[in-house]
Amino acid sequence: MLANFSFRTIVEYLPLFGQGLVATLWLSVLSFAGALAIGIIACGMNLQRSRLLRAPAKVYIDAVRATPLLAQLYFLYFGLPRLGFILPELVVGVLALSLNSGAYIAEIIRAGILSIPRGQVEAGVASGMTFVQRMRLVILPQAFRVTIPPLLGQAIVLVKDSALLSLISVAELTRAGQLLASDRFMPAEAFITVAACYLLLYYGLKGLARGSERWLGSRTVRSRT
Amino acid sequence: MKIAKLLAAGLALLFGAGIASAGTLDDIAKRGELRVAVQTQGPPFSMVDQAGARTGSAVELAELMAKEMGVKITFLDFDWDGLIPALLSGKADLLVADMTPTLPRAMKVAFTKPFMTTGSVVFTKAGSKFGSAEACKAAGTKIAVLLGSTGEKNAKTAFPDADIKSYKGGGPLLLDAVNNGQADCGVNDVSAVKGQTAAYPAGTFTVMPEMLSKEPLAFATRYDSQDLLIWMNLFLDQTALDGRLQKNLDYWVNSDAWKKDHQ
Amino acid sequence: MIWQQLHSLIGSYPLALRGLGMTAVLSLISLALGTLIGFALGVLRAGDSRTLSGVIGAWVDLIRGTPFLVQIFLIFFILPELGVELDAFTAGIIGLTNLASCFICEIVVAGIRAVPTGQVEAALASGLSRWQRMRQVVLPQAMRVVLPPLVGQYVLLIKDSSVVSAIGLTDLTRVGWLVVQRVPNGLLVFALVGLAYFIVCYPLILLASRLEKRLGAAHAEVQL
Repeated sequence: MLANFSFRTIVEYLPLFGQGLVATLWLSVLSFAGALAIGIIACGMNLQRSRLLRAPAKVYIDAVRATPLLAQLYFLYFGLPRLGFILPELVVGVLALSLNSGAYIAEIIRAGILSIPRGQVEAGVASGMTFVQRMRLVILPQAFRVTIPPLLGQAIVLVKDSALLSLISVAELTRAGQLLASDRFMPAEAFITVAACYLLLYYGLKGLARGSERWLGSRTVRSRT
Repeated sequence: MKIAKLLAAGLALLFGAGIASAGTLDDIAKRGELRVAVQTQGPPFSMVDQAGARTGSAVELAELMAKEMGVKITFLDFDWDGLIPALLSGKADLLVADMTPTLPRAMKVAFTKPFMTTGSVVFTKAGSKFGSAEACKAAGTKIAVLLGSTGEKNAKTAFPDADIKSYKGGGPLLLDAVNNGQADCGVNDVSAVKGQTAAYPAGTFTVMPEMLSKEPLAFATRYDSQDLLIWMNLFLDQTALDGRLQKNLDYWVNSDAWKKDHQ
Repeated sequence: MIWQQLHSLIGSYPLALRGLGMTAVLSLISLALGTLIGFALGVLRAGDSRTLSGVIGAWVDLIRGTPFLVQIFLIFFILPELGVELDAFTAGIIGLTNLASCFICEIVVAGIRAVPTGQVEAALASGLSRWQRMRQVVLPQAMRVVLPPLVGQYVLLIKDSSVVSAIGLTDLTRVGWLVVQRVPNGLLVFALVGLAYFIVCYPLILLASRLEKRLGAAHAEVQL
């Protein structure tokens, strides 16, 4: 198969790959947004003093982090219909990705908030700030700076994880490769093209991460407490 | 430059001749092992039963082949769309499945003569509003098919306005999708559908009587294994004559007898 | 209905055991090989040769920038073209080992770079060879920074092993996928699958965070 690597077929299937790439981007953005929301809520619950609020969050985060995404995906895909939820594969996929990344994002945010030196918080209290002012002016801006790089790292992980959705027939980039491989018996052409597309996304996101670090680094003063 | 090319061609001829003379049957005999590619989950031809043992119509025929060859058998299982690539890459000597010898496939692998005939049918969930194949023709109907199967091609021709969803894996996934409403109708071989609806309570599905197509089913090997191909054709001839083929098909495909033993 | 399903599930326990065994074997072998190769790559990458470091870096980037599923497909379908005869198991091992080595390489590089340069200079001044320097000064101190993420990487490896089910390897996830087609109760089947992974991975996650706390505290080094 490699001996007669067919560029012509790749060009012929380029529209399909293009659609797949757009679909992957789209569902990654949706899933990441969902994951952020879930992560913020879970982290918020986890930082509360009340065990009633902390317990479900902790159970969720631990369960997700100790099980594979594929098993979680199959759990939702084969399990939800039994509960009566008949959802299109795309929705199941986005849900699985959001729930999965949400747990990791919760931990990232928690690490970010906990990394702020106590001195800052105490200074805020000493300056007479209310909780909201402390949050707004002292804690969150610094937490923001610390969490953006790992959050972008998680975004990269999410884009790669989205490839698993091809296994439940979601129309995305890896699936485009599978279709070419099975239509024309050309797995080499198919998956090399797919890999190249993912690398494009990867370097794009990495560039974004580097740019954001530069932007954040220049805008906030590094405190030395 | 020309001499170099001639030399290269000469070497290639030598090596090519060398490889061709050591036939696949010889390799198999020397190895003592027949490597067979089968579908992971495609009842009644190939499946994993409750105890985890591989069984099914095609599986038993392959075991018979190995017995007649006097070698042991090794099964390698794949999703439907992985069977031909597995054969082409040399992982398996032959593939046994309910595969139709289509002309595009025959460009890549060599098919034996057919061992049975089947056809694609449409099935839906019993009691759904899709009561007939005509109803499934409506635009936007979700039709579940198997990735890389003839059902996929047939569905695209028969239902051009519908939304065709190709599932990777095996036939049971199509039934699952139709059963829980993720797809409205499904298209697959009638032999596969009949075998696979056994996992569900009776009357879950409605199988339309009209066949979308009539298709022979055959086994396959690589084009460079001409000796194996001839042997397999002889095997099919003989087992047809002495009745073993029919017995296999009657047990697995033409009746529900296997369900009692293997479900 | 559910008792019938449970009964059917319990009947499938030989299959489940096979799947569990496969996941265990895959993870252990790739873990061991990946650690060895990863350390070697890491030491080389943190070394003096700019070209070697660049080449390794490029490969690591390639592996970190593409989904593991696509890598597994490539290995499984394309390596045979290059003459390497592969079955699904070997492909799985190669894929997982490769993945592990690349990530462990980066962890080791970070660990090596975390060792204060004062230490390295002192070692040089004491006349230690490069190999002695690595073995007796740099690596032992790097381990402090390397160990927690290393254990974390092991957890990731065990979870990533589930992806090899896509090329038909009968690992724990694939067993779940097979069983659910016969016993159509996705919640039950995959809850059990998840439980099995949880029992293996959760202790490792706890170990990683405990290591982080204990080793991190000792990291308040005197800067030379």
